[in-house]
Amino acid sequence: MTSTRTPESAPAREESKPPPQLPLWKWAWRQLTSMRTALILLFLLALASIPGSLLPQQGIDPGSVQQYFQSHKLIAPWLNHIGLFNVFASPWFAAIYLLLFISLIGCVLPRTFKLAGESRTPPPKAPRFLKRLPHSAAYVSPLPPREAADAAATVLGGRRFRIRRPSAEDTGDWVSGEKGYLREAGNLLFHLALLGILVSIGLGGMFGYKADKLLVQGQSFADTQSALDEFHPGRLVSGSALAPFDLTLKNFSAKYLMSGQDFGQPSSFKAGVSYTAQPGSPSKTDTIQVNHPLNVDSVKVYLIGHGYAPEFTVRDSRGHVVYDQATPFIPASTSTMLSDGVVKASNASPVQLGFMGVFVPTAVSHGNQLQSAFPAPDNPAVSLIGYRGNLGLNTGKSQSVYQLDTTAMTKVAGSPHLMSPGQTWKLPKGQGSITFTGYKQWASLQMTYDPGQIPALVCAILALAGLLLSFMIRRRRVFVRAVAADSGTGSVVTVGGLTRSDASGGFEEEFAELTAELSGSAGTENPSDSEGATGAEGAEGAEGATNQSETKA
Amino acid sequence: MGINQGLAAVSGDFMIAALLIYSLAVLAFAGDLAFGKPRRASTAKAATAPVKEKELATVGGASDSDSSGGSDSGGSGAAPAAPGTPPALPEQRASVLQSMRDAGRWVQVAVGLSLTGTTAHLVAVVTRGLAAHRTPWGNMYEFVTALTCIAAIFFLGLMIRYRAWSLGIWVMAAVVLALGLAETVIYTPAGPLVPALQSYWLSIHVTAMTLATGIFFVAAVVGILFIVASRHESRISGGKAVEGENGLLARIPGSKQLDKLAYRTVVFGFPIWTFGVIAGAIWADEAWGRYWGWDPVETWAFITWVLYAAYLHARATAGFRRWAHYIQLLGFVSLVVNMLVVQVFVTGMHSYAGLS
Ligand code: HEM
Repeated sequence: MTSTRTPESAPAREESKPPPQLPLWKWAWRQLTSMRTALILLFLLALASIPGSLLPQQGIDPGSVQQYFQSHKLIAPWLNHIGLFNVFASPWFAAIYLLLFISLIGCVLPRTFKLAGESRTPPPKAPRFLKRLPHSAAYVSPLPPREAADAAATVLGGRRFRIRRPSAEDTGDWVSGEKGYLREAGNLLFHLALLGILVSIGLGGMFGYKADKLLVQGQSFADTQSALDEFHPGRLVSGSALAPFDLTLKNFSAKYLMSGQDFGQPSSFKAGVSYTAQPGSPSKTDTIQVNHPLNVDSVKVYLIGHGYAPEFTVRDSRGHVVYDQATPFIPASTSTMLSDGVVKASNASPVQLGFMGVFVPTAVSHGNQLQSAFPAPDNPAVSLIGYRGNLGLNTGKSQSVYQLDTTAMTKVAGSPHLMSPGQTWKLPKGQGSITFTGYKQWASLQMTYDPGQIPALVCAILALAGLLLSFMIRRRRVFVRAVAADSGTGSVVTVGGLTRSDASGGFEEEFAELTAELSGSAGTENPSDSEGATGAEGAEGAEGATNQSETKA
Repeated sequence: MGINQGLAAVSGDFMIAALLIYSLAVLAFAGDLAFGKPRRASTAKAATAPVKEKELATVGGASDSDSSGGSDSGGSGAAPAAPGTPPALPEQRASVLQSMRDAGRWVQVAVGLSLTGTTAHLVAVVTRGLAAHRTPWGNMYEFVTALTCIAAIFFLGLMIRYRAWSLGIWVMAAVVLALGLAETVIYTPAGPLVPALQSYWLSIHVTAMTLATGIFFVAAVVGILFIVASRHESRISGGKAVEGENGLLARIPGSKQLDKLAYRTVVFGFPIWTFGVIAGAIWADEAWGRYWGWDPVETWAFITWVLYAAYLHARATAGFRRWAHYIQLLGFVSLVVNMLVVQVFVTGMHSYAGLS
């Protein structure tokens, strides 16, 4: 992109070769903190984000990444090598935003000092030929030049312009006024607040944590690392730092649309919970909904998933109850809540028993396939395949509770067995039995703690405020010069105006108003001509010019 | 709560009416283009000698770095006034009615139709919301109908404030196109929302995004016109084309004016978009327990934000200014990609489109 510069519009200091008298590091720093670099880095930032949205990402959906690896055996390892499955944590993405923020500091801090200096120095002297300014007007005043300038200074002062008057060695009668320093302040606030957001995100990554827990109706858990299904601590978090609360899922209800084209879509989820914030403190109740997390001592508890947990009682060949609990099944389809799960009766004797099952809340049969017509439990049923043999729990390899390892097992019967609640399946040859006693619902909860959240929000609001300040406030200068009229009495007063930034427009109106007030204060009956401001667009030429210049020193 | 079918039908009728009236407005603007009064006085291209900003600013010394070096410095939009004649009063001080009268019959009809169409459009959007008991931008069809309504309202305000009648045909034609596609391709009857979408912050978030998108829509059309006009102007100054030879191009405002209009439009939309992204993060936090997770839709909202920020930078960077509007258009492309591609085809947590 650098080659697109047109020679006439590139100021000398943008020269891309180091001038001989500059040390290399100084030249490099200047390059890094130039607006051009900032622009290119911004562009790169946008570009670099794109693969992160098109390819599955490890941090968001590791399952899909694995799928991608399987279906694109050839290129997946290469993509992985350059971090394309973890774009937002990759070194090159970090390089872009770190450079951008270094550039930002190098650009914004000097501007802060410059602004601080400027806000203490008076505006420049009035130029000689005010008619050449983008906005200008003239009027005749009955007062002599000195007094006409005084009157103008009073008006500008009343409008809270910072004023400069001629000093002893200056000639002429003039006033310079400047206003709108807050526009620069807004710009600085905006950029610094962006930096603050980055720092806050870092804070959350260091000291925050995230944990998941699946609870069947009636179950409780305490927020300790061992009780959690998954725990993702920040870099500086240890398990003992968890908030000491415990929580019980008392009930769960889901409602679904019964008609219309969105038939079967969920319309509400509610998880009724009771919890104690600290051991010994009183128990409270609350309802967690999809957009209403529970807040316990700045740890937020969210409802992130739900499903059915059919209850089974398994007896082994001796008739002993070896399994009796509600077993969470994982929805394979959220629109019908057809769910998969397994039962592992490891205490069964003489051999272990295992079942692979499908649960459907509203059973309909399609041919001999079991399907679900609706996500609510209107006609629940399970279909099970039984296995006997070794569940493989002692091999030392960790096993998912949602999967059955059948390598050392044999089927107890040829075809899947369909059951309704209350029914019992007697396994052939007296190998035992399984009873589908009923079902419960489960909810999966996510606990998050992010100490960077509030700082990030505050910085975001500050950034927005800074942006609004810098867009709504215009930095402008107004100059007034009075010279004795040819007629001998009174004076001719010229007013010139210049905006350095006028993002939302409106200076032409302000200037016209100001001119009217100035000429009014001079006791003129006929405010005379006003020029330059011919039509909205013409009048704003100045803003265009000031905006395009490189505003950095 | 159920859907009020009667109101939903009213909404549908008004939407069709709006589309028809807008189409007539476009025809009237086209009539102005073909038969209206030739008028381009205020947009004369850099005809007058540019005022030397540099010289002015360095008089005082302190401000040199801020207003130096403009190849297209100000003052150029001024109507070339013959020496000695009293300078014309700023056109803008003429009242709206006065300048509409000056603009001629075609413009009056076109503006009247546009206002009527916008009113019908607004009624359609509001009744849709009343019918479904929620904010009327809960799926993609509603989003497009609402954003085009915003675009029309915003543009009418802009056109009237800057008396930019000649932009009417382009922006209103784009509105007709977008609305027409919405009606025919992605029409979705009124319905309730899935739980993840029922949130206070979500309404705020989507409202802001809708507003900003409508405004960026206008900026994009003006940006395209800018590119067309500035290429035409550089062909004229390069001797490859003759001023006024192409009637269509002669009727659009000069590139400086378009640049300014597009800039002001983006300046209006950008903070709203920023706010929308913040509100979205708050919603994401309520719904999923993290305020930012690089979900595809979030990622594209970020890309859009960065591109518009890059546009604002480019406009302030020496040597990059002429590329600024291409960046702005890229920003709009990323917005459309997000809306039409990412939300529909890339799975993420924002199952929003409501299309099946
Ligand atoms: C994190 C990346 C950045 C973003 C998102 C960003 C965004 C913006 C936005 C939206 C504006 C326009 C608002 C305003 O005028 O206040 C702006 C202006 C500005 N930015 Fe940045 N910026 C970034 C980094 C930088 C860097 C690294 C520099 C310096 C090299 C810089 C220098 C400036 C300057 C000088 C302006 C004022 C332009 C003018 O006078 O109109 N920015 N920035």
